[in-house]
Amino acid sequence: MSSFEKVGAGFSLDLTLDEANILINLVEQLLELLGEGDFFAHYDSSDPLAQLLALSSEIVTPDDPVLLRLLPNAYADPEAASDFRRYTEPQLRGAKQKNLRIVREELTILVDENHGGVIEELNSDVWLNALNDLRIALSVRLEIDETSFDKFEMLPDEDPQKPVYAVYFWLGWLQENLLGLLL
Amino acid sequence: MSKTLTKDEVNISELLDRPWITIVWDDPVNLMTYVTHVFIKLFGFSKERAHELMMQVHNEGRAVVSTGTREEMERDVQRLHEHGLWATLQRDDKI
Repeated sequence: MSSFEKVGAGFSLDLTLDEANILINLVEQLLELLGEGDFFAHYDSSDPLAQLLALSSEIVTPDDPVLLRLLPNAYADPEAASDFRRYTEPQLRGAKQKNLRIVREELTILVDENHGGVIEELNSDVWLNALNDLRIALSVRLEIDETSFDKFEMLPDEDPQKPVYAVYFWLGWLQENLLGLLL
Repeated sequence: MSKTLTKDEVNISELLDRPWITIVWDDPVNLMTYVTHVFIKLFGFSKERAHELMMQVHNEGRAVVSTGTREEMERDVQRLHEHGLWATLQRDDKI
């Protein structure tokens, strides 16, 4: 089974090709949902015009429940929440995209060479946050609550949701594994 | 002889004195160890204090993790959102 390991001052992650493929697939889907390729992608650039456009474009409360959970309202009051979102959402979205892109880049090397292997000297903060965002995204689709693990265990193997639950709990295990090395 | 404050003046001074707070809300997804880790990382809490606040979120559904000006709390909420925690800010409702 794959796991993180502490190597000197850094961390590594050992993955099979199947595991790397599952992760990269999820990362791609989340990047797409976060709007890769639209104007938010330019927000990190030093181009002042791109930054100005990113700020002045219409930014509204997301309809998609996954996006609303990843980019939540900061205020209970809808007007204050929407004002805050207008100025801060591009940066929040950008931070999440940045983590996911780094993880994708590291996974791509394993997948392109068509074998599993070890990702060396990975950034634990980047991986923790990316794994967490992937878990959050899956949890909204699976409607995860306190009873979900029991529900997962009771599901028959042929249930189409069973592998999705399995991936969700595997991600939690991976994240716990990395946290165990940090705390 | 002391001057009596009018009702409006009292309310304004109370409003100005009351700080803003950042609240973290419970959710069924974030791992307990992860929440503790984020509290230590973002606020510099000791392991014990971070654990205590995490348990408060878990058991009571919410915990106040920081207090200060509105701008400071907006920054804290933004950082918590970057880490996937569910956080909001509001004026402290304790008088």
